[in-house]
Amino acid sequence: MPFSLLVSWRYITANSFQTLLLVLGVALSVVVFVFITALINGLSIFLTQETTSKIAHVELEPPNRIARVLIDDSRFVAQPVSTLQRKQIRNWQQVIDIAQFTPGVSAISPIVEGNGFLVRGEATRPVAIQGVEPSKVDAITNISAYIISGSAELTTGGLVIGADLATELGLLVGTPVLLKSERGAERLLPITGIFRVGLASLDQRVGFLSIRVARPLFELPDGITLLGLKLDDPAKAPAIATLLHNATQLKATAWQEKNKSLQNATEAQGRTGNFIQAFALLAIIISISSALLLSTYRRRAEIGIMRATGVSRQFVATVFILQGVFIGALGAMLGATAGYLLCVQLASITGPDGDAMLPIAPNEGGYALVITLTILGAALAAVLPARAASAVDPVEAIQQ
Amino acid sequence: MSHTLLLAKDIIKSFRNGEQETCVLKGIDLNIPQGKMLALQGASGSGKSTLLNILGLLMRPTAGELMLLDQSLTNLSDGSLSKYRNQHLGFVFQYHNLLPDFTALENVAFPAAAPQGRLTGELRKRALHLLDRVGLSDRSHFLASQLSGGQKQRVAIARALINKPDLVLADEPTGNLDQDTAKQVMNLLREINRTDNTTFLISTHDNNVASKCDEIIRITDGKIAPT
Ligand SMILES: Nc1ncnc2c1ncn2[C@@H]1O[C@H](COP(=O)(O)OP(=O)(O)OP(=O)(O)O)[C@@H](O)[C@H]1O
Ligand SMILES: [Mg+2]
Repeated sequence: MPFSLLVSWRYITANSFQTLLLVLGVALSVVVFVFITALINGLSIFLTQETTSKIAHVELEPPNRIARVLIDDSRFVAQPVSTLQRKQIRNWQQVIDIAQFTPGVSAISPIVEGNGFLVRGEATRPVAIQGVEPSKVDAITNISAYIISGSAELTTGGLVIGADLATELGLLVGTPVLLKSERGAERLLPITGIFRVGLASLDQRVGFLSIRVARPLFELPDGITLLGLKLDDPAKAPAIATLLHNATQLKATAWQEKNKSLQNATEAQGRTGNFIQAFALLAIIISISSALLLSTYRRRAEIGIMRATGVSRQFVATVFILQGVFIGALGAMLGATAGYLLCVQLASITGPDGDAMLPIAPNEGGYALVITLTILGAALAAVLPARAASAVDPVEAIQQ
Repeated sequence: MSHTLLLAKDIIKSFRNGEQETCVLKGIDLNIPQGKMLALQGASGSGKSTLLNILGLLMRPTAGELMLLDQSLTNLSDGSLSKYRNQHLGFVFQYHNLLPDFTALENVAFPAAAPQGRLTGELRKRALHLLDRVGLSDRSHFLASQLSGGQKQRVAIARALINKPDLVLADEPTGNLDQDTAKQVMNLLREINRTDNTTFLISTHDNNVASKCDEIIRITDGKIAPT
C-alpha cells in the first residue's frame, strides 16, 4: 500500500466520529441525488409506458403525394403531383411480409380507417372508425382490458366504441346505431362493447369494427389505409420507421413524432432533476472542503513536523486529496446503497387501487454517475485544503 | 583533524514587525566539524532557535551563506531544501515532535517512508532497530499519543536518525523533561555520537546538558561569543 494512502486512511480513522458524521452528510446528499434521479427517470418511464402501451409505435400509411419526374423544356424536374387516386396501401400483404421480418417488430395490424357519423335519433356525433381484423383488436391498444360493458369481440359484426362517445349518444350494449361513412354508405349496427382506455382521443371518438364490415362502408374492397406496428422496444421506433420507409416507400411515422409534448415534458422534468442533482453535489463539495480545511488547521503542527523532516509538499497535498477521495467514496457507496433501498421501499408502497403511489424506478437511480461524480467532487473539494496543508510553514507551525 | 560539515558565513537574520525591524542574528560565522557534539547556549531571545532553523534549512537568512559538505545552499529552491533536510539533516524539537495518530515505529520510519512511497519491511526493521537503540523496542506499536514525554523525545531521536543524517539539530530536546530523564536522553545522544560519528548541534538552557557536549557555542548580541 502506498504510504500516502496509509497516512490519509489513518487521519480519517483517527477521528472516527467526525469522519462518520461527514460521511453520513455526504451519503445524505447522495441519497437525495439517487432519489431524484430514480423519481425523474421513473416518471418518464411511467409516462412513456402509459403512452406507448396504448398507441401504435410505428404507423405505415400511403405517401401523401407521389413524386413524378416531369420534363420541363430541357430540364428534369422532380415535382410532387396529386394522383387523384384513393389513398390506400394495395400491396399490404407484401408490406406485412417485410415488416414481419424486421427485427424488433412484435405485432402488425392492418387497418381500414375512415371517418363518419354515428346517428341516433336527432343526435349526431363524428366517429373515427378503425376496421381491424377481429383477432387483432388488441394488437395496438389492449381494448379487451379496458372494456367496461359488453365485449371486444368483433366477429359478430358489431361496433365497439369509447365510453364518452357512448354517453353522449346514450348508447348501451345492444342498442343499434346508424353509421354514416364519409363515402356516403350507411349501415345500422349494434353496439357490442364499450371501452374506457383513459385517453380522450380514443374514448371520445373511436369505434372499432371488423375489417370485413368496414371495407364496403369505406369502399376499399382490398386495400387498407394504415398498418399499425408494435415494437419490442418503443424507443427504437424512429430507427425502425426509417428502415421501413426505405424498404416500402410508405410514409412511416414513429410514435415520438406524434407525441412531442410528452418528450418536452420529460425533458423539462429532467432539467428540474439536474438542478437538484447539482445542488446535492455542491453540498457534498462544500461539506468535504470545509471539514478538510478545518483538519488542516488542526493538524498544522503535525504538517510542520512532516515538512521539517523533509516530507515534500506533494506528499502532504496527496494525503489530503486522498482523504477527500476516501470520504467521497465511503459516502457515495453508503448513500447509493441507502438510496437504492429507500427507492425500493417507496416503489413498493401501493395505493388503494394496487398501483404504486410513486412512479419511482429504483434501478434508474444514476448510481454509476453519482458515485463517479461524488468521488471526483470530493477530490476537487480537497484541492483547497490540500493546498493550504502543503503551504504550511514548518517554523511557524512548530513554534506556535 | 575532522573536516568541516557545515559552514555558516556572516549569517544575518532580521524580522519585520510592522514598522519595526529587529535584527536577531548580526553576522554569525560558524564551522561545525564532522562528528562533533556541540551545545548552543545563550539567553532567552538571543536567537538560538532562529539560528537552528536557518542551519536546518527551515528558514532563509536575510543575508549570509551556508555550505553543507562543501556545497552552497544559498540559491536552492524550497523543494531542493526540503530534499536536503530529508537526506542530510535530523531534527529533534522541544514540543510537537511526533504525529500522535501514528505508532512509535511509524513515526520513526516516516521521513524515509514518505519519499520512498512505501513503508517497506526493510524500513520497519530499520525503524525497529533504531527504537531498540533508544530502548523502546517494546513500545514500537504504541501510538505516539500514548507515550510519556521522555519516551516521545527518544522516539524523536530515533526518527532523526532514520535517514542516516550528517547533522542532527536539536532545539532544547530536554527542555520539557525532568532532570533524570534529561540525563538519559543526553547519554543516548552522546552514545549515538560516539558509535555512529553523527554530528549534533543542541541548543539548551541546561548547563548539565551543555557540559555533556564537546564544545559550547554562545550567542550574545546576535553574534557568536569568542571562546
Ligand atoms: N517570526 C518571527 N517574527 C518576529 N520576530 C521573531 C520571529 N521569530 C523569532 N523572533 C524574535 O527573534 C528573537 C530570537 O528568537 P529565538 O526564538 O531565536 O530565541 P531563542 O534564543 O531560541 O529563545 P528561547 O531560549 O526563549 O527559546 C526573539 O526576540 C523573537 O521575538
Ligand atoms: Mg528557542
